[in-house]
Amino acid sequence: MTEKDYNESVLLYADNVYRFIVKNLRHTEDAEDIVQSAFEKLWIHKDSVEPQKAKSYLFTVAYHLLIDHTRKAKRITLQESFENDTQTAYQENKALKKVLHDALATLNETQRSLVLLKDYEGYSYEEIGEITKLTTDQVRVYLHRARLKLRNYLISPQQVL
Amino acid sequence: MQNINLHNYQDFLLRYIDEELNLREIEALLAFVTLHPAIGEELESLQSTKLDIESIACPNKALLYKNIFPVIVEPTTIVYPNKQKLFKKEREKAPVVFLKWWAVVAAAVFIFIVARYGMFSGEAGKDLSKNNVTTNSIATNSIAKNNVAKPSSSIVNNVTKNNAIENAGLLASTNVLENQKMSTYTVGRGGASDIVTQRNIPTASIVTASETASAIPSYNGSIIDVKPTVIAEITTAPFALNETTEPKETSAINETIDTEAASSNRSVMVGAFEIDKDKFRGLFRKANALFKNKENNRNEK
Repeated sequence: MTEKDYNESVLLYADNVYRFIVKNLRHTEDAEDIVQSAFEKLWIHKDSVEPQKAKSYLFTVAYHLLIDHTRKAKRITLQESFENDTQTAYQENKALKKVLHDALATLNETQRSLVLLKDYEGYSYEEIGEITKLTTDQVRVYLHRARLKLRNYLISPQQVL
Repeated sequence: MQNINLHNYQDFLLRYIDEELNLREIEALLAFVTLHPAIGEELESLQSTKLDIESIACPNKALLYKNIFPVIVEPTTIVYPNKQKLFKKEREKAPVVFLKWWAVVAAAVFIFIVARYGMFSGEAGKDLSKNNVTTNSIATNSIAKNNVAKPSSSIVNNVTKNNAIENAGLLASTNVLENQKMSTYTVGRGGASDIVTQRNIPTASIVTASETASAIPSYNGSIIDVKPTVIAEITTAPFALNETTEPKETSAINETIDTEAASSNRSVMVGAFEIDKDKFRGLFRKANALFKNKENNRNEK
């Protein structure tokens, strides 16, 4: 891809990647770092990336950066609480959305990523499998489990009350 | 296509939410849901897990662009490297030197000498060419006249004389008569013929000897304007001439021509003015006479 293609990818996909990351991490600054790292990697490998595959490349890189970031945070155990970080926390306005995103927080990284890639980006099982390095059946099973978990969270007695 | 039943319907529901069913499966699922309302409620609860698309903008997208939106615009000072070459130094004007009186005199003398030398050197060539033009034209006429009028006994002298005149005129004739070509000029009378070198002009016309002979006596001493159309070829054959009377006339004409040719050397060009040499001589003679008279008076005293 050329420089023009790269800049066009920034224009088209930067928001999508950022949304995907910030919904996973719920931390804007970390999300920005990951997005910037993802695009930097795309710029470095722009000669080997075809323009029509730039989006999936970006999501793949961002997903793996997300996994690395999450694992590193868990290992250090210094991860700040999303709720306590009022400045960087993603603000939810509506109650339903807030509950739903709370439910998302109960999922593991893989399930959450699968849900986000499916609902936000509309990727198919196969495309998600390419991004996450999972098989199509794994994607389908993991995603169904995530849905059921979300539903159970939403219809739980605490949320109903 | 797999049939929907109570054991596998949940998989159909989840795939329906994930939009992974084809049209037939969708129709079959919707038909199955209408048959089982409880499954319809379950479908709604699963649909609530689907995230609504939110438009979240990346806050620092401008940082991601390459070479279009520079992140840090550093103040650049562009310096032209060869600025020293552009500097110009005005040339100093030549100082005005006021000459002293002796320098002015020396310059005037030098200019006078140069002008005088150049005047006389140019004057000589001018006189020479002028005389040659005159003599050449006169020689042509004399040849014509002599050849027409003179018998075979005098033709040798005339030809020799004319050749001499002509040789003198060769020096300047190159400047005046450029279009002339050397050719043989045949002078014939009856059966006898002599070859005389004469200038031939391309546009030569035939002129009778009587015309030439009549033209020469009327020559009044002025400078003859010789043009390239001067007659070069003269035919004398048809004439019947009187041999006894012509030699005197011919010699008189030649003398006249010689005096006229010599008279052209009398003038001297002084700048743009032409002064007769005889007048100069007269002045010098008068001056000498005055000096001699004074000396004689002194001696007598």
